[in-house]
This record gives sequence, C-alpha cells and structure tokens, in this order.
Amino acid sequence: MKIQVLFGTESGNAEIAAEDLAESIRNDNQEVEVHDLSSFSIAELQHDSLYVFLCSTYGEGELPNTALPFYADLSVVRPDLSGVRYAMFGLGDTFYKDTYGQGATKLDDKLTELGAQRTGEIGRYDASSWEPVGEGAVVWFAGVLEGVSATR
Amino acid sequence: MDAPLSIAVIGSGPSGCYIAQSLRKALPQSEITIYDRLASPFGLVRYGVAADHQSTKSIQAQFSRLFERENVRFAGNIEVGRDISLAQLRSTHHIVVLAAGLSADRAMEVPGEGLPEVYRAGRLTRLFNAHPLEPTGVPTFGKSVAIIGGGNVSIDVLRLLIKQPEDFANSDIDDAMLAEYGQAPVSRVDLICRSTIANAPSDPVMLAELGRIRGVRFSCSDPIEVAEDAPRTALARAKAIGELLEVDPGPETRAEVVLHFGWAPVSINGDGHVRDVELRSVNDDRTNQRLGADSVVTAIGFDFDGGDWHGLGALKADSETGVLDQGLYRTGWIKRGSRGTIAENRSCAKTVADEIIADLDSLEQQSKPGYAGLPEEVRALAVDYAAWKRVDCAEKEAASEARTRRKFPSHEQMVAIAHNKLVESSAAQRGN
Repeated sequence: MKIQVLFGTESGNAEIAAEDLAESIRNDNQEVEVHDLSSFSIAELQHDSLYVFLCSTYGEGELPNTALPFYADLSVVRPDLSGVRYAMFGLGDTFYKDTYGQGATKLDDKLTELGAQRTGEIGRYDASSWEPVGEGAVVWFAGVLEGVSATR
Repeated sequence: MDAPLSIAVIGSGPSGCYIAQSLRKALPQSEITIYDRLASPFGLVRYGVAADHQSTKSIQAQFSRLFERENVRFAGNIEVGRDISLAQLRSTHHIVVLAAGLSADRAMEVPGEGLPEVYRAGRLTRLFNAHPLEPTGVPTFGKSVAIIGGGNVSIDVLRLLIKQPEDFANSDIDDAMLAEYGQAPVSRVDLICRSTIANAPSDPVMLAELGRIRGVRFSCSDPIEVAEDAPRTALARAKAIGELLEVDPGPETRAEVVLHFGWAPVSINGDGHVRDVELRSVNDDRTNQRLGADSVVTAIGFDFDGGDWHGLGALKADSETGVLDQGLYRTGWIKRGSRGTIAENRSCAKTVADEIIADLDSLEQQSKPGYAGLPEEVRALAVDYAAWKRVDCAEKEAASEARTRRKFPSHEQMVAIAHNKLVESSAAQRGN
C-alpha cells in the first residue's frame, strides 16, 4: 500500500507535520510521497493508495488558501471517489473555539460526500498546546494504521 | 557557480524565517545566515504579537527548526548600519535579503498629533512585550483613551488596556508594565475606524475575543448594517460586533468601550494636553463630532524608520517585485507594507524566493565567504542559536506563576546571559 501525504497549509505548520510524518513512515520502510495540495490534481487520486490529508484552518473556519483550488475542483467536478481511502488530520487553535479545526472537517465532509472512505478518526492538533505538531501527527497515524491492519 | 552560495537574511522575524525556509528548500547546499540586531530571534512574533496571544507565538516552534535542523545560522546582536554596513554584507554574501520589517508607527498628519498624551501603538505593544530597546515608562492614559485605527493592532491595544491582571494567565506580559498600568487603568475607550464595518481591516475573531473580558460594556455609535451578499468576513465581523453589544458586563462594569466606524480624525485638541478628538464622517456628510479623551493611541500602520535606508534612498513598501538590485532583495512588510497575518509572509517569501532562484545565473561568480568573511570583531559580537537558547532557558526559569516566561528588559543582560558573561563585563565591552 502506497501512502500519499497531502498537506494544505497557511502558516507552514501542516507542511512541517507532513514532513515529519513522511520521515517516520519512511523509517518504517513504507513507501511514501508528500505533496502540497496546491500542486496536486484531483485527477491523481487513485484506489491503490492511502491518502493522508493534513489540513489547517484559516480565517473564519475556512480551508487554507493553498488547499482552495483542490477543494473547488472537488466541488465542481464532483468525481466519484468510491474506493478511495484516506485519513484526515486537522490543525487548528482552540483559542478560536467557534472555528477550531473546521478546515479539515470541511474537507472531510466533501471527500465523504463524494464516496471516499475515511480510515480512523480525524486527528486534531491544537496550536494553543505548544506541542510539537509533527509528533502529534505521527502518534495519530500510528493509531490509524493499527485500525487498518485490524480490519484486514 | 563552484563555491557554495552564501546568503544573508537581515531580520529574524516571520518574513526572514519564511524566506530562509524557502531558500533552504530550493538551495540545500547554500550557506544561510539570518542576522538580527537583537540577541533574540523571531522579531515581531516575540515583540509584536500581543503577550496574551501565546498560540500565535507558537509559530516559533516552526521557525526554530531552521536553526535546529535546517543548518541555518542565527547571528543575533549584529545590527546592519551599526556593527556592519549593508555594503560589507553584500561584498561577503552572494545574496542579501532585507526582511527587517517596518518599525515606525505611521503618522496621522493631523493637528495636535504632537500633544504629550498621543501615543503610538508600536510603542505600547513593545512595552507590554518587554522590548529591551524600548524606553520604559508607562504612558499617562487618564480615564479615557481614543484609539485611532481599526486593524488588529488597535484591537490588541484595546484588549491590553481593558483586561484585568488575572486575564493574563499563561502569557508573557511584562509584569512591571502591567502593575504600573494597573494603578490607573482607563474606564472608557473609543475605537475609531475610518472604514465601514464591512470593510474594516480587523479579523472578526479578534473582535469576538473581546467579549470574553468581564466587566466591560460595548456599544457602537453606528448602525451595524452589512449587505446580505457581503463577503463572509464582513458578515462575520458584523456578527461579532452584534454579539459584543449583547454582552452582559455583570454587576461591576469597569470599562465602557464605544466602537465607531466610518470616522476619521480631523484634529486632536487641547491646551498643552489632550482634551478631545474631532472626527469627520468619511462616507457621508454627517456633521463632525468631538469626542472627549484624555489620551490618544494611533494604530494606523507602520512605515520605514527614516528616509534613507542604508543608502538605498527612500523606499516605499508597496513593491510588486522583491528585487532591489543585483543580489539584493526584500520580503515581508518591507516589500508589501504592514498588512496581513504572519502566514501571509509565507506566500510572500515564496514569490521572492522564486525571483531569487530565477536570478541565480546572473549573480557574480566570484566566491564569497558569507558569515566567515565578516570582520572578527563583528563575529565576536554575535549571539548564535545556542547562545540564544541560554537566554531562552533563563527566561523560562525566571517566569513567575501564570507566566510562560519573563523577558529580560535589558539587552545588555540578554547578551551577557547569551555569552555566559557578567553584565558589567559585557557592558564594558560594548562601550556602553
């Protein structure tokens, strides 16, 4: 199973998390690619990969600007994503409690609506915690993978 | 080019850190040094972002990786123009990127601006952030203050002035400043924004946050009308303001906050001291109004400090391109003006980095030694990242209860701790 890490970021934290996660996956001798959502086309989504989305929240609970074209393509083209598997990790800040982590939630809703299947719970990172964002993503993804192997 | 490419970034705030990130990614073999006049890195993240916005300051963790893992050198306590000239840096580095930001509060240019109780927002945020080079002393605000400007900085100032000491838990506010201000806090604040609610530059979340402060009554002098098809941010701003007006201040109302939209200052009046501010309506012909105020804070943006920037002439911070000259670039506020959030410097840095990469072939081919080419006495001043971490640890250890750190208010002391020297010897060495 190929793992593709896709990040959508405004401040760069989701990219850091993506790099750390990819490094840890590589250290486990798994194949992994990292892509910025701003340069990833919806046409590239395949059935044989697990897509790991790391997505922040910006402004009034919006997706970050770099993820907007990808999201807009999903909304307009509405591809059939049945059989596409993904995991979702959201970055946010509980300081802004009304909009916390909504970017990832929005993307998750869209993928599910188009038939893609989420593996595991949505991971969450809170900037107010000052925890290293990469470590949070790595710990969360280990749990996602456990779920994958348990259901096999 | 055979010799490794040497790059100097001037300024270690968000714009400097983001350009270093982009250049490190594109040029893994290059030698990158970030210079800063302070012994501490991170610029406005540390001294501009309000002390009670710690989650915004957490971006430091990302920037730290440059120095900890990405082989970028920090050279603090080196000021361009004092310790070394821009020309010297250009002769020792292939690429120099100015990322020093804009530190001077923009002037309003209205009569009365020179009255003693007219203060600049930049000075206040530096004071509350214990900036080591900011002259100390708490301004006299009196009972009422008029804040001119409707952006996030003016809301920062408003929030700092109406919070109570216990509201600063888990911050790194300067406690000396806070205690002194607490002796005579203001009881009325007028926030004056020249834009309409729909077009105001503030982030709605910043306005909404004000509603969590207890004992404050909010009102708005203008109708909260925003077109139904207005942009989402405008609707969110109107909603946030509407909710502020609903806030029940409780039995003990300490402060009154009045929001004004669509008004601009005409003059600040008073006989030797601020007495009132005259406002004119920006979008219609309502008659001018006079607002009584004991003091005024201006928060209308930032600009260059002085006319000539290191021999580059009078720059304007509204440039499409980051190119200043061969091998000389600018990024962040110094390029595009004092607008936007920290994250906007990331996309700005990416475009400037692209310009730099496109220019690589046209750079001078001779070898340039980078940091190692600086005079020995200049390198002796430098606070590197390991030295900064000594200050960082000392600040965290010195933190009192409910504080994340205690910033040292003296730059000499910061440098002395960084260099593991006594304060006296360091002061003597610098000749001050």
